[in-house]
Amino acid sequence: MTNFIDYLLGGFSNGAVIALMALALVLVWRSTRMVNFAQVGQAMFTTYVALTIQQSTGNWLLALVVAIGAGAILGVIVFFLVIRPVKNSDSTGAIIATFGVLIALQAGAGMIWGGDPQGFIPPVDNAGLEFAGRIWPISPYDILVLSATAALVIGLTLLFTKTSLGLSMRASAFNPEVARLSGVRVNRMLISGWAIAGATGAIGGVLIAPASTISPNSFDILLVFAFTAAVIGGLDSLIGAVTFGIGTGLVISLVSGYSDSGNAAIVALVLLALNLLLKPDGVFGHHGARSV
Amino acid sequence: MLETVDLCVSFGAVKALSGMNLTVPRGEVTAVIGANGAGKSTLMRTLAGLVTPQSGQVLFDGKSIAGNKPEDIVRTGLALVPEGRSTIPELTVEENLRLGGLWRDRSERGASKNLVFDLFPILGERASMRADTLSGGERQQLAIGRALMSDPKCLLLDEPSLGLAPLIVTQILELVSRLAKETNLAVLLVEQNAVTALRVATTGVVLNLGEVVKSGSAYEISSDEELRHAYLGY
Repeated sequence: MTNFIDYLLGGFSNGAVIALMALALVLVWRSTRMVNFAQVGQAMFTTYVALTIQQSTGNWLLALVVAIGAGAILGVIVFFLVIRPVKNSDSTGAIIATFGVLIALQAGAGMIWGGDPQGFIPPVDNAGLEFAGRIWPISPYDILVLSATAALVIGLTLLFTKTSLGLSMRASAFNPEVARLSGVRVNRMLISGWAIAGATGAIGGVLIAPASTISPNSFDILLVFAFTAAVIGGLDSLIGAVTFGIGTGLVISLVSGYSDSGNAAIVALVLLALNLLLKPDGVFGHHGARSV
Repeated sequence: MLETVDLCVSFGAVKALSGMNLTVPRGEVTAVIGANGAGKSTLMRTLAGLVTPQSGQVLFDGKSIAGNKPEDIVRTGLALVPEGRSTIPELTVEENLRLGGLWRDRSERGASKNLVFDLFPILGERASMRADTLSGGERQQLAIGRALMSDPKCLLLDEPSLGLAPLIVTQILELVSRLAKETNLAVLLVEQNAVTALRVATTGVVLNLGEVVKSGSAYEISSDEELRHAYLGY
């Protein structure tokens, strides 16, 4: 029982980061109706940028802020250089092109920063807290990760529900024609979607890096988990992405704890397959929002 | 107010509009009637900027707007209520309305919202509900309300009677016609349902295969039996 609780608690922080990556996928889906498989590649790249800033200035917060900006810019660059030219003629082609972007980013990062895994020093202690006579699998850093994720989710929710930009973005996603007829500059909303998704992914990357190491391919597995969470959540739902992101984190932690961490990805894919068989619209999606 | 000069639109080899001349004055309803495929929706989509014409002019307030983007055209005061599902069902009634005038000043938007709620009180009662919970007639009112939120000088209504009970259509159109007179609004109404359209309109224009075959006062058009048999099917 103690093991079970430990595994469960240990999964939250990882789940929060999966939730952020899933959110990034959902944000792109909502603006452009496609999955961006380069999302983790963009996050990996901006995490390297953050690492460089941290190594030269020692300032974690500055590194995070620069990564957020870089993530937003990179998202817009990917949209303009790759997605927009391809998507007009072929929307499946655009999805395949995101794999190309992923590989290009990984190769680029390898050339700039090298292929060896590098450590990312957390801004606060990452050792388990001692409380009530034992050490718990939650560190001050985990608490930082969870609070940052919660703050971001609340911020995004407010952005989408309370602001004019959010309303314009939602309208553009649901019905671009009515949005244009209402005076919304839909193209700008697509760009905003990619920028916000890129920034969200960048935050996820910087937050997960201290938990392991960073290398050009270290986030690949995160793509599997984030994609699973986003799809099970309905691809269209922010709350679905967050719920199933954290849920996936917990499942991974339990599977890794009781068997082997190598099995986690297999379990995730089995869950994904089951979801697509049993509830193809996703748990939080409405009918027809997602066609696979 | 709104004028087209020799407007031509084709889709590939198909000519949807061939040399269309039309004038829509302020303060009244102009009805364009005609059967399916006469080019009515193409006309509306071209005026609103969703379709680019091959040749000809669209003059709005004396300025040429043909080829401009729809999001710019609506900002100059020409608002289209497109055919069918032109509300966003996932948004609330209030959000659908707010969407209609997001680029405007907050205070101006408030005035438009009051006007819409006065015109269609049901929208005020249902403000916080999702648009897909509304009935067909309420949704059409919402679609018109959204267009009015842009404070248009000219309102384009594409087939508002589609799928609605005749009584509701008449009620809505009479409100629009009164609004046109009271606020000096130009209204261009496109309808397959000629009887209802000509009842609220001042001027009628009969369209067939992309060409104007007859225009005149609404009374003149509706009492021309030959015209009715030939083009309007009743």
